[in-house]
Amino acid sequence: MGNKQPYTVLAVDDNLLNLKLIEKSLSKEGYKIFSADNGPDARAIALKEKPDLILLDIEMPGETGFDVIKKLKDSSETIAIPVIFLTGVSEVDSKLKGFDLGAVDYITKPFHPLEVLARVRIHLKLSIATNSLIADQASKLRQVTEAQVAMLPTPEDNPGALFGVYYKALEEAGGDFYDILNISEKITGYFVADFSGHDIKTSYGTASVKALLAQNCTPVYSPAESMKMINDVLVEILPDGKYLTACYMHINRTTKKMTIINAGHPPVVCLPKDGEPYLIKTKGDVLGIFKDAHFGTQSIDVSEGDKFFAYSDGLVESAQNKITWANGADSLLPVYKQIAQVPYDRAPAELVNHLFGNDALPEDDIVVLCVKV
Amino acid sequence: MDFKDLASRLGIDEDDFQELVELFVTTTLSDIEKIKKGVQEGNSQDAAAASHSIKGAAGNLGFDDIFTLAKDMEMQAKQGSMDNFEDYIRDLENGVSALNNI
Repeated sequence: MGNKQPYTVLAVDDNLLNLKLIEKSLSKEGYKIFSADNGPDARAIALKEKPDLILLDIEMPGETGFDVIKKLKDSSETIAIPVIFLTGVSEVDSKLKGFDLGAVDYITKPFHPLEVLARVRIHLKLSIATNSLIADQASKLRQVTEAQVAMLPTPEDNPGALFGVYYKALEEAGGDFYDILNISEKITGYFVADFSGHDIKTSYGTASVKALLAQNCTPVYSPAESMKMINDVLVEILPDGKYLTACYMHINRTTKKMTIINAGHPPVVCLPKDGEPYLIKTKGDVLGIFKDAHFGTQSIDVSEGDKFFAYSDGLVESAQNKITWANGADSLLPVYKQIAQVPYDRAPAELVNHLFGNDALPEDDIVVLCVKV
Repeated sequence: MDFKDLASRLGIDEDDFQELVELFVTTTLSDIEKIKKGVQEGNSQDAAAASHSIKGAAGNLGFDDIFTLAKDMEMQAKQGSMDNFEDYIRDLENGVSALNNI
């Protein structure tokens, strides 16, 4: 509904005089009127012209007003057009039936053109308000996306963390999340998680997790202790049925020790500086469901130049090809070998490119994090 | 009957109202023919439908006498009776020709 274009109203009545009367009184006020004296014509015009409002007589020979509105509300192209019924004054049942079928209002016959005008005006206003509410909500959702992206740390802001990342959210409020925790000068934590569901609640969840990570991933706590504390809080605050799978890599670049905590997440891939890629498989519960959750923990010695990949299941799973990460992760090992020489900051994008090509769309959110020791 | 007054009550110009009256006369005469046919053939539902059409148009234009006549005819015909319809039709025709003469 632009400002310059006149609002359009489709008037439907088998009585030609009524049509003419509506046309005269509304067009005088600047509305553009389409008219139809039968149901099928009315539906054809509604589909073609997408009027801003429809005035619909109930009692018509052949296809009645009820038949017409049913069909209009069945079609996604005409479902949102407000319909006002024209009905006899004593027909209470038909008024109720009209509302039942999705009409926004009714006008009793004989109608007064000024009443028609007033009702057309108020319902156009309501419709404009509804449309602007939808636009407003869409814009807020985009803000959530922006806020979510702003929460994700970039390699440029964390040069000491030596990581590269690929992040793609399928919908406005993505379910994947990662964070970098600069615990001390030589100790860094890398957190990759995947929330169940992709909705607004999820994106608020990511903000909570980010705050919990900052509070609990400190030199005072071991990685396992940090995850346990985060889990205990999430059990309390997450809505029922919501959980996240996560992987936490904790690297001490002084002692060359790495600890991996796995909470129901796909296995970390290790790409040694000189050697074959392999999976670090650990079993563990997901985060946010069980108070006494058990997480898989592994500590390994690492060498400078080794690379580690943590990622969400979107990278390896395919609903179309019925691949789950349990078997998908293994089958991807050769691909890691192919990108062994790619620098760590470009490795995630290169990996996604190898798997999906340039234009194939992933079926899920994807995050891939590559860390170099 | 004051067309100017009726037009202003409807919020439209007198010229537009005049045009609507002409349309009303044409459609109503055609509806009256349908009622007559309904009476001849004993088809009260057709007579009711035509009366309904006259009722709606007359009501919207503010022709109260014609509206009341057509309403009574419709109600009666819907119940299957067309007694006294000759009188009704004559009254209707008088009402319409009165409009024509204004």
